[in-house]
Amino acid sequence: MISAITKAFSNLLKKPYTCNYPVTPVIKPKNYRGLIKFNDEYCIWCDKCEKVCPPNAIIFKQFEDGHKVYNYNPYLCIYCGDCIRACPKTGDALWQCEEKGLPSISKDAPNDDWFILEKEAKQSRENYKAIKAAKKKS
Amino acid sequence: MKKTINIPYGSQHIALLEPVRFQFETQNEKIVGVKADIGYVHRGIEKACTSTFEYKQIPSVVARVCGLCAITHSLTYVMAVEQIIDVNVSEKAKYLRMLMVELDRIHSHMLCLSHTAENAGYEALFMQIMADREIIMDIQEAISGNRVQFDFVCIGGVNRDITDEIVKFIIKSLNELQPKIEDIFDMFENNWSLSLKYKGIGAITKENASIYNALGPLARAAGLETDVRAESDYYPYEKIGYKMILEQTGDIYGRNRVRLREILSSIDMIKNILCDIPEGNIIEKVKGKPNGESVARLEAPRGEIFYYLKGVKQAMLDRVRTKTPTFSGIPAMVEIFKGQEYGDVPAILASFDPCMSCTAK
Repeated sequence: MISAITKAFSNLLKKPYTCNYPVTPVIKPKNYRGLIKFNDEYCIWCDKCEKVCPPNAIIFKQFEDGHKVYNYNPYLCIYCGDCIRACPKTGDALWQCEEKGLPSISKDAPNDDWFILEKEAKQSRENYKAIKAAKKKS
Repeated sequence: MKKTINIPYGSQHIALLEPVRFQFETQNEKIVGVKADIGYVHRGIEKACTSTFEYKQIPSVVARVCGLCAITHSLTYVMAVEQIIDVNVSEKAKYLRMLMVELDRIHSHMLCLSHTAENAGYEALFMQIMADREIIMDIQEAISGNRVQFDFVCIGGVNRDITDEIVKFIIKSLNELQPKIEDIFDMFENNWSLSLKYKGIGAITKENASIYNALGPLARAAGLETDVRAESDYYPYEKIGYKMILEQTGDIYGRNRVRLREILSSIDMIKNILCDIPEGNIIEKVKGKPNGESVARLEAPRGEIFYYLKGVKQAMLDRVRTKTPTFSGIPAMVEIFKGQEYGDVPAILASFDPCMSCTAK
């Protein structure tokens, strides 16, 4: 009990445990799991990352001439790294950086645009399949 | 005719940690009847696991049931899946999993102790324990890459390996933590005014603990020997020096003592794990789709956590059932409240360490 009281008084003279966050940056450990980065030069367009992603934060949009476009939603991403482990070209095409994801504000419209994109991507695949099937027939 | 007054406690209350509602029937200050109502934070996770996500994605989904038990939820699920699809996990992966579970136990127990202190009126002690808890959070961040959502275990092993640098950091941090825990132990043991709030309050006998199916620290504080770590041999707990910790009093003081002693024993176990991590792969390849049923259980910080899975040779499972420790412990909690003073309720409830986001799922 006496030691507790002396400790309580000695704590008055000590620095606080907390840090002044936005002014002093927080020290992150090595290999911190941050945002997912992509390089389309090395991508083989296998769509494996899209399939394994638990929150569907990666979507490939298909165009009629055959090429695809990579879309990533950093606000939906849970930084689990499953896409990195599934990728056959880890490190070149897809990698995880140590940069922390920022919170979104309403101006970013993280959900509305993304849901429209999700529907468009689904539709674009179906259209592409239909075109391919039509070509085979002819 | 007896005159009783009904006092609702929750679903929102100044001393309540999470949304749960208790209806206390009181006679003067004494509680004579209790009704518990859970389910204020239901999110339909069991249904989502069988309708939206494939079985390989579910470890990340169930990890988000509860921030404190992130590792135990995903680990128990993964153990159940590994039983169905016949994957043998390497010894090294098992050791790394045990390491994370024990770290989880330390920081969960510290959170509970801090809340018990806060609800008994000790704001400063609450702050002190929460500040010391940061040491464990930093270790977990260094191992898994994130403070709360670890995503560390996966089907077939673990996602990340441990380096010599991290091992040194963990041992240094644990050596720093141990004297702090001993200080807190001393405070809980010898502080006279804390003992007024804890000793003899919220007690349960060994017989009642057994009848009402108490589990975890709640049961061990009453002297009931239940611990999945001792009952199952899936993880080599005996090799790393596991000892069951029992107290006989069954009151808040006993529960606090069980938790503090478990923290100290977990620190020793982690040091043993780090000394003899075997060599080997951290992850095995997984093939096939689950077909059949399986159950898995694990000792979470609050007690036994249980998963039941059913697969029908498809990527999506047919049934995922989670039974969490707080849900199983509610009959015992209700029994403990009877006969207590209404003013002691916040401290008693905090000493149960209830986790409502687990319970309601």
